[in-house]
Amino acid sequence: MLERAIILAASAIGAGLAMIAGIGPGIGEGYAVGKACEAIGRQPECKGTVTSTMLLGCAVAETTGIYGFVVALLLLFVTPNMFLGKL
Amino acid sequence: MGKFLDLVSIDPVHIIITIINLMILFFIFKKFLFKPVQEIFDKRQQEIDKIYSDAQSAHDAAQKDKTEYSEKISAADEEAQQIVKKAAEKAERISDNIISEANSKASAMLKKADEDIAQERKKAVNEIKNEISSISVDIAQKVIEREINENDQKDLIDSFIDKIGDDNG
Amino acid sequence: MDSINITGARILFEIPVTDSFVIKITQAQVNSWIVILFLFILCKVLTRNLKVKPESKRQLIAEFIVEKATNLVNENMGQKFIGFTPFITALMALSACSSLLSVFGMYSPTADLNTILGWSIIVFILITYYKMKGGFFKYLKGFTQPIAVLTPFNIISEIATPVSMTFRHFGNICSGSVIMTLVYAALASASALVFGWLPGALAKFPFFQVGIPLVLSAYFDMFGGILQAFIFAMLTMLYISSAAEED
Repeated sequence: MLERAIILAASAIGAGLAMIAGIGPGIGEGYAVGKACEAIGRQPECKGTVTSTMLLGCAVAETTGIYGFVVALLLLFVTPNMFLGKL
Repeated sequence: MGKFLDLVSIDPVHIIITIINLMILFFIFKKFLFKPVQEIFDKRQQEIDKIYSDAQSAHDAAQKDKTEYSEKISAADEEAQQIVKKAAEKAERISDNIISEANSKASAMLKKADEDIAQERKKAVNEIKNEISSISVDIAQKVIEREINENDQKDLIDSFIDKIGDDNG
Repeated sequence: MDSINITGARILFEIPVTDSFVIKITQAQVNSWIVILFLFILCKVLTRNLKVKPESKRQLIAEFIVEKATNLVNENMGQKFIGFTPFITALMALSACSSLLSVFGMYSPTADLNTILGWSIIVFILITYYKMKGGFFKYLKGFTQPIAVLTPFNIISEIATPVSMTFRHFGNICSGSVIMTLVYAALASASALVFGWLPGALAKFPFFQVGIPLVLSAYFDMFGGILQAFIFAMLTMLYISSAAEED
């Protein structure tokens, strides 16, 4: 029983820690969007191009955050079952 | 509840099914959306090309007609001008003719009149000469009361008349 | 709290091939077949009775889609890859429509990792094919550039392309569906708490689930889904065209 509790707790704590990865993309995307707003303010006629490029860049910048999220999902939903099955 | 897959799970069969699904959709899009629409685009393009070439040929024909007409009009203009010119020339010629004829006629008449006058004058002068000579003979006969030799008399009178005539002439 | 059930796709039926190998047909597959059927019918309806002079709105929509897709591919990949247009359109339409299924409360196939992994594998095969067009050994030699020590990193970065594409799409949609599940569960328990005194079946009716999740659903399902479809297609085009440019 104690092992179960330890495994579940460790998984939850690990998932929480993994989501710290969300900080980086948050800062990066905010910076990118700010720059895009500046660009649109300077040249409003380029709005469409700037917006689509920004979305693409944001999507690429998001990758690390998504990796963190996937690791958190794995820790929450996959690893406990894996280890609990062995117990 | 039924059975569920794990939230993050990898199953090769599902991957293959997905790939096949995407390929099927690709072929569906290619065959049923892009092909017919592209055909319509091509057809439209052809029609537009045809319309353009028709318009071009019509334009060319119109241009040709226009040049032809303008040529014709200019030719007609020239012709008319020529006709007018010719008519004017003819009229001038005729009028010249008429004038010259009239002139010549007039001059001939003048000449004839002059001649008549001269003749008449000559005639009158002769008559007067004769009369004067006879009168003078008479006078002289009367004055001298002797008969001069007819020939001498005549010579004398003639020379006298001539002198008069010269003075008149 | 038993109602919170965060799992993958529901297994609808199993086809046993051998004792150990069982083909599981899940909700994800069935829903993507539904999407394909829907798109097929849409194509047939849109392209029915096309005229040279467009008369119907349907034809205008079909022409608009074809023109926009052709322009997008032409801008991002160049005239050389104009044949990719149906593929890119299929990818985008399948991804967007699959994500939009969750608006109707159905399981969206893009929340299943296998679906997106399949697409990424196709994209990876295409990228590799275009890289190998310049010659197989040239392709292999490209891994040792600029120095031979970097070979493992080059291989990792090569493999990271489809993996990152997969997890980007999957993570976005899946996080949306997880958050939506949590929100629905939270709203259900909240309405049970507030309206628990109502008699009979009304007590169990989740009043808060009406209307409130719409805002989140609009963001996670519609905006996120369409944005991820667009980004997946854009990245596909960029990767393929840059792979072909290398030689």
